[in-house]
Amino acid sequence: MTNVLRRDFCKQAGLLTGSLLLHHQLAEAFAPRHLTGKIRIGIIGCGDRGTGLLKILQELPSLFEVTALCDELPFRLHDAQKIGTASKAKTYADYHALLDSRAVEAVIISVPLDRHFQIAKDALLAGKQVYLEKTMTYDIAQALELVRLSQQRPNQTLQIGHQYRSSPLYYRVKEMIKQGYLGKVTQIDCRWDRNGSWRRPVPEPGLERKINWRMYREYSGGLAAELLSHQLDFINWAFDTHADEVFGTGGIDYYKDGRETYDNVQVMVRYTQAGMVGNFGATCGNARDGYLFKLKGTKGTISLLIDQGIYYPEQETLKQYGTVDGVTGATKITWDKNGGIPIVTGKEPLKDGSWYALSDFYRAISEKQLPDSNVVTGARAACTVHLANRAIYNHTVEKWQPAYDLS
Amino acid sequence: MLLGLLVVLAGWLLPPTPASEVRRAFHLSGYAQGTTYAITYYAPDSLVTSQDITTQLAEIDASMSLYQPGSLINQFNQSARGIVADQHLRVVVRKALQVYQATGGRFDATVEPLVQAWGFGTRPVAAPPSAATIRAILPHIGSDKIHLKGDSLVKDLPAMHLDLNGIAQGYSVDVLATLLERHHIQDYLVELGGEIRVRGHKWPSGELMRIGIEQPDTSAFAAAAMQQVICLPAGGVTTSGNYRKFRQWGGVRSAHLIDPKTGYAFQNELISVTVVATDALTADAYDNALMGMGLASALTFLKQNPALQAYLIYQRPDGTAAATATAGLQQLLSHP
Repeated sequence: MTNVLRRDFCKQAGLLTGSLLLHHQLAEAFAPRHLTGKIRIGIIGCGDRGTGLLKILQELPSLFEVTALCDELPFRLHDAQKIGTASKAKTYADYHALLDSRAVEAVIISVPLDRHFQIAKDALLAGKQVYLEKTMTYDIAQALELVRLSQQRPNQTLQIGHQYRSSPLYYRVKEMIKQGYLGKVTQIDCRWDRNGSWRRPVPEPGLERKINWRMYREYSGGLAAELLSHQLDFINWAFDTHADEVFGTGGIDYYKDGRETYDNVQVMVRYTQAGMVGNFGATCGNARDGYLFKLKGTKGTISLLIDQGIYYPEQETLKQYGTVDGVTGATKITWDKNGGIPIVTGKEPLKDGSWYALSDFYRAISEKQLPDSNVVTGARAACTVHLANRAIYNHTVEKWQPAYDLS
Repeated sequence: MLLGLLVVLAGWLLPPTPASEVRRAFHLSGYAQGTTYAITYYAPDSLVTSQDITTQLAEIDASMSLYQPGSLINQFNQSARGIVADQHLRVVVRKALQVYQATGGRFDATVEPLVQAWGFGTRPVAAPPSAATIRAILPHIGSDKIHLKGDSLVKDLPAMHLDLNGIAQGYSVDVLATLLERHHIQDYLVELGGEIRVRGHKWPSGELMRIGIEQPDTSAFAAAAMQQVICLPAGGVTTSGNYRKFRQWGGVRSAHLIDPKTGYAFQNELISVTVVATDALTADAYDNALMGMGLASALTFLKQNPALQAYLIYQRPDGTAAATATAGLQQLLSHP
């Protein structure tokens, strides 16, 4: 058993290393793309996420050249221009004008959720390559429509920004699940908690709804769309499954400040095909757990942070695993059998998930390959988020519909 | 080449192992070189005894132990020009000089006066060395001023001292492995002070030996972590760490790995480095050098030296620990 697994592990390690090398060698490999080898990219929406991605782009100077920035708030454009090479980018208040520009081949769309669909659609119709922030769309109808539209345009890339799972760590975990390290997984526990209002400072009262759009249901899917969507998406992708039933609850339990989206939500998901129950929660009223992600199987547990994973074998597995013939160490100490085994991924310390996501975006465009976080997986996550929000706000049990089965 | 092929063929053609050849496990353990050793070998009978091990290790100590008055290495350190070296000293110094060259001086067996000044040597010190003391010592550091000439080991400056403690244990497990192989033992694991030499399989299961990589238990380590386990058919496995041996004088804290270039402890994010190589002497020489390089340089060096594989534990800027490994080492990792 051990030997078989190790062989699988070797194969996997080879694959993974291959993909890491690819990231390193992207510039050389795809240099003939055009004269500079760089994709000229514009950012639509220069809030926290847009500028966050802009900073990551500064770490990928051989892949992307930032040629355009768009935001309807001038102070945001001003701030974004201070980041690295973005000072050379042309600025726009209206995204349509940016989409008309020939100096823009690809766009990052990082705007409030209610605007995702329209801008992504316009960008595709304008012939651009698109990196669209999660959650993919505001509702299910838009998700299905965007899939249809994207599939009609196979030469254009549409990648969805579930960036955490672009990290080699999350790829490794997906492989470990497939290779049976966890045995049969029955339970998944996820949290994304904070102790804070989740509000951004507003320079003048008239901008409240534009800046704190996450607080208003007209624009936002709340905590489920902004945070839990990442973990919901990862489970779909890692287990190649989808939610079958979604239960939810929540409330405005602490920040009674005029917000409409809940500051405390809990979602329970039944994965019938996979035989699993997932618990997904987020609160603004306690930060102790922070980001918590546990996959629990008959042979072991994987506990994940954004950039760190630990594998905890179950007692029976541990008995088999824990026997060693010798220990190498700088000094000999007793080792802790109750602890876990760090999951290692490759030759280098992990970078931010967005670095891998944007590298994958470049690869997808250059090779005309479907990115791993694509319109179909994005739609599956979006549908789950919307089922969750319906369950939370309408006090209903929501069921997956055959119409959501996309491929 | 042809002979090797014939030997392999002969192995294939041999009849099944007779009952008298059934191998069973023998375990030897004891105290040596200021630490403990543990040996497991599989053989039809107890071909090697604890006494054999003790005798062999005593021979090595007589050659290169700084703790043994009159040892060859102590004679060398006290001499003005040098000494006639024995086989042990020649092999280890030759390796030390090679690794000194290969690592741009990161591994330097002449660092002993600095190690002593910082209180990690054979004599205790009352206070950390002053900058002036370190400046005065530095001219006597540098393996380029040590030479093997025929049987002789010579030095350019009388004040130069050798310290082979960083690699003597790796060498010792190699010598013990050779001792076992002289008795036709081909399945064994030899461990001394956390340095390992391994070959072959366990009997009767036929599985490879399992080697745990110790995880540091510093409070800075984020999660109470169990060791990784690696399996390899043959080779040396050694670990160098900066996580246990410290000296503290008031606010001054120094780790025991001293940079031969600056005279001060290496300051980088590495907590421990485990190296796998064809033999333990090689692994042991490089684990110290890699510790001194820091993570980025170590990974670059490993990429350029594919004969070495490594598992590296390092501290991230937020104080938590993380681990990474070369691709080759990843392939040795065992999971349940």
